[in-house]
Amino acid sequence: MESKDSVIAAFKQVPIKVQEVDFAQRGYHLEIMLEPGQLRDFAQLLRTGNFYLSFISGLHLATGIDVSYQFANYAFPCRLLAHVSVDADNSLPTIADIFHGANWHERETKDFYGVIFRDHPNLKPLLLAEDMEDLKPLLKKEPALKDRAAITRVEKIAEDKPAPAVKKEEA
Amino acid sequence: MSPEMPTGFFPPELLRILFTVICAIVIVFGNAVVMGYLERKLAGRFQRRPGPMEVGWHGILQLAVDGVKLVGKQLMVPKQTDKVLYRLAPIISFAPAIMPMVVIPFAPNLQGRDFDIGLIFILAVVAINVLAILIAGWSSNNKYSLLGAMRSVAQNVAYEIPMLLTLLSVILVTNTFSLRGIVEAQSGGAWFIFFMPVAFLIFFAATLAETNRAPFDLPEAESELTAGFMTEFSGMGFSLFFMAEYTYMFIACSLTTILFLGGWSGPPLPYGEYTSALWFFAKVYSLLLVMIWIRWTFPRVRFDQLLNFCWKYLVPFSLVHLLVTAVVVKL
Amino acid sequence: MTTIAEQGEHRYVLNMGPQHPSTHGVLRVILEMEGEYVMDPQPVLGYGHRMHEKMAESRPWPNFLPNAARMDYLSALIYNHGYVGVVERLAGIEATPRAEYIRVITSELNRLQSHLLWLGVLVLDLGAFTPIMYTFEDREKILDILEDVTGSRLTYCYMRVGGVVRDIDDKFVEGTREFIKWQRSRMPMYDKLVTGNIIFRKRIEQIGEFSPDLARRYGLTGPVLRGTGIPYDIRRAEPYSVYPEFDFEIPTETTGDCMAAYLVRVREIEQSLRILEQALDKLPDGPAMAKVPKKLKLPAGDACYAVESPRGELVYHLTGDGSDTPYRMKIRVPSFSNLSLLPELCRGMLLSDLCACMGSLDLVIPEIDR
Repeated sequence: MESKDSVIAAFKQVPIKVQEVDFAQRGYHLEIMLEPGQLRDFAQLLRTGNFYLSFISGLHLATGIDVSYQFANYAFPCRLLAHVSVDADNSLPTIADIFHGANWHERETKDFYGVIFRDHPNLKPLLLAEDMEDLKPLLKKEPALKDRAAITRVEKIAEDKPAPAVKKEEA
Repeated sequence: MSPEMPTGFFPPELLRILFTVICAIVIVFGNAVVMGYLERKLAGRFQRRPGPMEVGWHGILQLAVDGVKLVGKQLMVPKQTDKVLYRLAPIISFAPAIMPMVVIPFAPNLQGRDFDIGLIFILAVVAINVLAILIAGWSSNNKYSLLGAMRSVAQNVAYEIPMLLTLLSVILVTNTFSLRGIVEAQSGGAWFIFFMPVAFLIFFAATLAETNRAPFDLPEAESELTAGFMTEFSGMGFSLFFMAEYTYMFIACSLTTILFLGGWSGPPLPYGEYTSALWFFAKVYSLLLVMIWIRWTFPRVRFDQLLNFCWKYLVPFSLVHLLVTAVVVKL
Repeated sequence: MTTIAEQGEHRYVLNMGPQHPSTHGVLRVILEMEGEYVMDPQPVLGYGHRMHEKMAESRPWPNFLPNAARMDYLSALIYNHGYVGVVERLAGIEATPRAEYIRVITSELNRLQSHLLWLGVLVLDLGAFTPIMYTFEDREKILDILEDVTGSRLTYCYMRVGGVVRDIDDKFVEGTREFIKWQRSRMPMYDKLVTGNIIFRKRIEQIGEFSPDLARRYGLTGPVLRGTGIPYDIRRAEPYSVYPEFDFEIPTETTGDCMAAYLVRVREIEQSLRILEQALDKLPDGPAMAKVPKKLKLPAGDACYAVESPRGELVYHLTGDGSDTPYRMKIRVPSFSNLSLLPELCRGMLLSDLCACMGSLDLVIPEIDR
């Protein structure tokens, strides 16, 4: 993959839901909604496309935990953020064997949210102490919990600025 | 202290022994104080800072204060150490350091005792230090200490060889192991450093390694092994190792002076049988300054590089040097 | 992961840290050793963990500003920059041009002092005591300059959304210009004392095999990555603030060893000086603070802001929900990913080389632990 467009084209073949967003407003180029089953194929695709894993993070919503993966590329500006909702048993497949750096990021997400990464080689607490496994500090209590709509950008900011070239593409 | 010393009421032999022992101890402690101050002051100068300035004029009493602090410290013996060996190690390291002072000829008439095998005596006594370091590292029951001790043994054993080989080159010329004899062989400015500069360099490098000084300070290597074999020592235990290190440096530089720089020889002074010790000390401390200078300039070498340097460069070079010297002497 | 039981009795475990001179903070590395060879280094994190991300979620966003300085204490201003950047991007606020320049100037000064400290510390790890005193002398000058304008010497809280808290004055500009001259005059000395030192070269040349593939697998960024030949610098790749207006190079080396990382960093010092020079020349007049609503709420939505810290890519990912408290804030710190390759990189190395490798990675542990 040598440009953002070729990345989008590759995603569409899978197919993966990808949406180009305005970098000036969001700080990344592509937003991706993944199904848990697609995660490993997605990671494999990025691995062959010479991307690197920037971070893995979680997001506790009323509907459950979302895990976000950010990737970027050394060769051309293409920062992408993929969201995956965890499976019913609060687990996701690991990508630590595809991107070795994911090992620690997944352990961190396990620390903070309790997400189990299936087949992870060593899912021990990383930043928290060994006896803090049940703490899950970033889980939110009921009144603070919001659903995805509440934290999704309403595009009215675009009115006082020149409209960004946001195009929605359904795969 | 010459053999021609006038006899008095005391048996002269007893007086001499007493006097020699006192002198040796004074030299050892005096040297530790001077070196401690010099090292800190010079390190400061090399690093564009004043060094110790608070206690006394330009921090001249700093070492005394530090000494009081170290002596006043509780004698800590960590649990799980081999307590007997742990307490013994600093003493085993320090005690032999005094002995070579007896045979070192500071001036024609300032020598405790001139052995025929003075040189061998010094080398034998100094080698005990390796044992002390090994005991310290082992008895501390600490892996860093043990690693430091093991490094020290390997290093000392390796560097002993080029040291002895270069030393033999000198012996081939002088035909004596007596330190006085070696110095007298160089009288009149015929210092061996002019005839065998390579031997001098090899010997000096080997002494740096033998005394565990930078860039060969691997047994201590504080960025890797925290403090190597000294990790668990504090108070008096530490200060004995500390003093021993400076004493061994002094001995090493004295040997270099005797073997290559003509010992006490220099421009004549009044009462030269005694005062020419001034030349001796001037040479020794110049060498010590070079040692300090090297320490505060160079990074530490890696362990395999250290051994490679010895076995691949120093040993062959010193062997060839010995051969060449033998041939030249025979001719 | 191999265990001792599998390997027989000749392996032992050496516990390096949390207090150890070479781990530069409370990092613990459990080393499985065979003699002096490190067979399996496993870093243990979390001794300095403060849960900054939770703190961000539990207080109004302006109250998190001081936290931003306390993750990487060596590049606090760059962390400031990232944080105000992400809030500005999410809330759609623009800082004044003068403020952007001031941000770049102070960030680059911060980068310089971080690189200078690293230079001293790396050489200290290799056993030479003197260079760190020289670099501290240089660093002290930067800290004095920054103290005058920010009020602190290490944990700066200087940038605000919309600008910076205090405008810089002529004294600052003059001081910085003098510093640039001073630092340029010092670099040949470091070249002779450190770069040209044969022992130093032998210690870090061909140590650590960083490769582009290793970098991609672990998400390596920063000078160590540029040492493998990839010219990836956020200041160029995803330009932020006013960096596109400056002419500077991205130094790269191709050997991918510790020496390459060293050379890249040393050359970056010169590039930072170049940026400083240009920024001081171009510094526009005007207010140093934009008009920002008193009570600014974070709109719903999310934004990322990536900046180039002295150690690599730093990303703030902020999710707002319409209140003044962030719903979620993720901070991607460079040292975290950079350290994660240690087990693979240092397997089978000598203990001394491990210290050299960790020194080249330029780890700041509170940043990893957050």
